Amino acid sequence: MANYYNIDDILAEEEFVPVVFHKAANGVIIDPSSETNSVEQGAKVELPLWLAQDLYLRQAISISVPACFNQRTRLEIQADAACVDLKSRSPYFYEFGCKIAPLVGDKTIEILLLSAFKIRYKEILTKAYTAAYTTASKFLTLLTKEESNLYEAAQVSMSAFKKWRMGGPRLQRASVLGRKRRSFE
Amino acid sequence: MHGRKAYELVKEFADGEKGHLKIFNNELFERVIEECNEHHNALQSLIRKMQEEGLEVQTARNADHYGALIHHLSLIRNKRCLMAYVYNRAEIIRELAWKVGLLHELPGEIQEKFSDSEEQYFKDHSKSLKSYMSQLSLDVNVDMVPPKDPYIKVRVLEDLGSGIILSDKSANFARHSMHFLKRTDAEQYVARGLMEELTG
Repeated sequence: MANYYNIDDILAEEEFVPVVFHKAANGVIIDPSSETNSVEQGAKVELPLWLAQDLYLRQAISISVPACFNQRTRLEIQADAACVDLKSRSPYFYEFGCKIAPLVGDKTIEILLLSAFKIRYKEILTKAYTAAYTTASKFLTLLTKEESNLYEAAQVSMSAFKKWRMGGPRLQRASVLGRKRRSFE
Repeated sequence: MHGRKAYELVKEFADGEKGHLKIFNNELFERVIEECNEHHNALQSLIRKMQEEGLEVQTARNADHYGALIHHLSLIRNKRCLMAYVYNRAEIIRELAWKVGLLHELPGEIQEKFSDSEEQYFKDHSKSLKSYMSQLSLDVNVDMVPPKDPYIKVRVLEDLGSGIILSDKSANFARHSMHFLKRTDAEQYVARGLMEELTG
């Protein structure tokens, strides 16, 4: 398990996956179509990954490939990976993909993730260094969490480099306080 | 859906700006704990039902078992979310203690976001840091990069008056006045935004 306290890891596991129950379960309300508070054998339900994962390991359910890795997404990524809106598919597209791939036994997901990441990584770094904020903001809405972290990291390192080259004061106001004051004045 | 409230709690934390705190969401926090209790009760009643039917709870794999399992997993998930919420906030609080809390009170707008126990945690953490440093007689919180010059030029941004006594002198720190100070003395004031460093 990744870091127990990791916020991103927790959020990535909240993504929903379509599952089929092989065993019935009593006393739980997770099947919206069921009228009693139980799940019948063969019921098709969407469950968050954290629940599906353990039920799958105990052979209570089988998992199918979630919608964000469907054929349409694959075709779009093949066409031009850099322009695909991955954030709306899942803000944790890569993490989710890595977690789901061994569960559904689909080797092509890994290849898809890798090729998408390679192309987009290059694009993100280029944009982080060159694009003005106004043009970049549209591009930023397409990025997953991981990718926008990368984008920010690239920008921070760029500005750190500029600062180093130009020189300037070393001591600065603690950033926690910085933001608050400007709204005052 | 199971674990939804806990997800909202973690999501709220994640949506906040990095390194900044939001108000401790007591209401949602309590709601998740309540949900944990509900899961716990449901889990126990399912197990009791299995025992009444004379089944071996450890090995039986009937519908009740899987129901109990789902409640068990939801409980663990909720616990993880709660723990992560508190843990990650504590991390920010520790950082605050290092950055601004060692010598001064925190500004009110940050302090009001703490829960009661977080406030205590902040105080205790600052206190133990201070006592550690006084035992070492070394300020471990200063800038890690050795300065080229032990003195720096600063401008005072807010009226501080003459009540402040620094290690080697005391002066009237009126607004916009400029001073030549020991870097280690100036650092804390710059960090709090009361002075700025001048270069060139």
